[in-house]
Amino acid sequence: MVRFENVGMRYGPGPEVLRDVTFLLEPGSFNFLTGPSGAGKSTLLKLMYLAEPPSRGLIGLFGQDLATTRRSQFPALRRRIGVVFQDFRLLAHLSAFENVALPLRIAGHDAAVYRHDVEELLSWVGLGGRLDARPATLSGGEQQRVAIARAVVARPDLLLADEPTGNVDPDMGKRLIRLFEELNKLGTTVLIATHDRTLIESARAREMRLVDGRLVELRGPR
Amino acid sequence: MPRDKGAGSLDVVIAVMACLAALALGASLIAERAAVSWNTGLAGRITVQILPPEKSSMPLVQQVKAALSVLRDTPGIAHAAQLSDQETVELVRPWLGADALVSELPLPRLIDATIAPGTPVDLESIRQRLKAAAPDSVLDDHTRWLSRLRAVAQGIIWSAYGVLALIALATASTVSFATRAGLEAHHDIVELLHQMGAKAGFIARAFEWHYFLAALIAGAIGAALAAAFYVASSGLEFAGIEAVPFLPPLGLHLSELGWLTTVPVAASWIALITARLSVLAALRRIY
Repeated sequence: MVRFENVGMRYGPGPEVLRDVTFLLEPGSFNFLTGPSGAGKSTLLKLMYLAEPPSRGLIGLFGQDLATTRRSQFPALRRRIGVVFQDFRLLAHLSAFENVALPLRIAGHDAAVYRHDVEELLSWVGLGGRLDARPATLSGGEQQRVAIARAVVARPDLLLADEPTGNVDPDMGKRLIRLFEELNKLGTTVLIATHDRTLIESARAREMRLVDGRLVELRGPR
Repeated sequence: MPRDKGAGSLDVVIAVMACLAALALGASLIAERAAVSWNTGLAGRITVQILPPEKSSMPLVQQVKAALSVLRDTPGIAHAAQLSDQETVELVRPWLGADALVSELPLPRLIDATIAPGTPVDLESIRQRLKAAAPDSVLDDHTRWLSRLRAVAQGIIWSAYGVLALIALATASTVSFATRAGLEAHHDIVELLHQMGAKAGFIARAFEWHYFLAALIAGAIGAALAAAFYVASSGLEFAGIEAVPFLPPLGLHLSELGWLTTVPVAASWIALITARLSVLAALRRIY
């Protein structure tokens, strides 16, 4: 599903943020990415969701080597990835419903077809009564849940989440992890970057730890 | 699309530029109409002046009759008639006023003649025959006057086109600048849609119609202001306020007013194309 071989990453002339990162995410696996702040977790995720090219090394995604993949094929690859951004990145002028439906609109689905699914998903994350609310009127936790719903609504092949439970209470955190697990059971490969030890212990999944830009595997795939 | 920060002032700029472009377009239409009317008004017509006798002893009235009969006997002259004294006084009124003294001036008698369309007429022969029949007659075929008028009209038309082109260029640049500025403010949206796998066409479409509509509305307001000016100018003429002699009326005909709608349409398409090109350029800069 995802293959990194000796990947290095630096921004401009600065120091390497990631060094010789090598790992494999098996299809349908559930993984955690941990590490102190500034260790390079977000950069690693950026490389995975095709926001940045690596400075060196090879990245394979869905069986394709990115170095030899034409840029015109990138949108199709990106549509197979769901991302929960740490800063949510909700579109301020769209309602919660419209934000969640965005990946389906981009994929060319008809609103009449996906309306029910989007409403159901928003109800599942506890926002059934706030379909028309704009992000500015939602709390941090509510925004985070909208961002998670948006990432999973199209049932992506790969789900990448950057601190997805950082702004919600423990109960809602568990509920969201269950959502990820359900999605994982349906075949989605999941990678969650987090500091939350309770979350990591509860899921008992593979844990990869980044320290100073290098990857250390703490617990193997379950 | 959310409304851009500062979009209000950019809309005002687009509206003002559209108004100026529509005014320039209207001016070029008026200049063109004037040139055509001067041309068709004088072409195919000749004027014979019978000056008050100085050299000859032949009375003025007799000379007029003789000249009329020469003209009416000439093949190709469709119509020849003497202007009444009142009509002659009317002609000089814009310059000399309607003073009672004017009627006492030794004004020449004028004969207006029309050449049948498409008929070749030997003006030199007519001139000679007129001289023989009425020694104080002067034939004016308006050639000199007409060629000067044509030159002036062409000059005005090309000047109007030049001004129109400059204002159109400035308007296009303004619309393009406003669109790019607006897009700059929405860079995060472009980036997010790109990140979610939206194709360039999808992202461009999300923006281009927004700017198309904004420029269409602002451009329409500007063009409507210009149209109101021209309608008001027509109204002044209807109210009896006369235009300057020989200069065309400032108002636009209904069919000409229709041309002003091209201004907002052009503005909106410029905005749409700029938005598309800007989005595509922005996307090329993103991985």
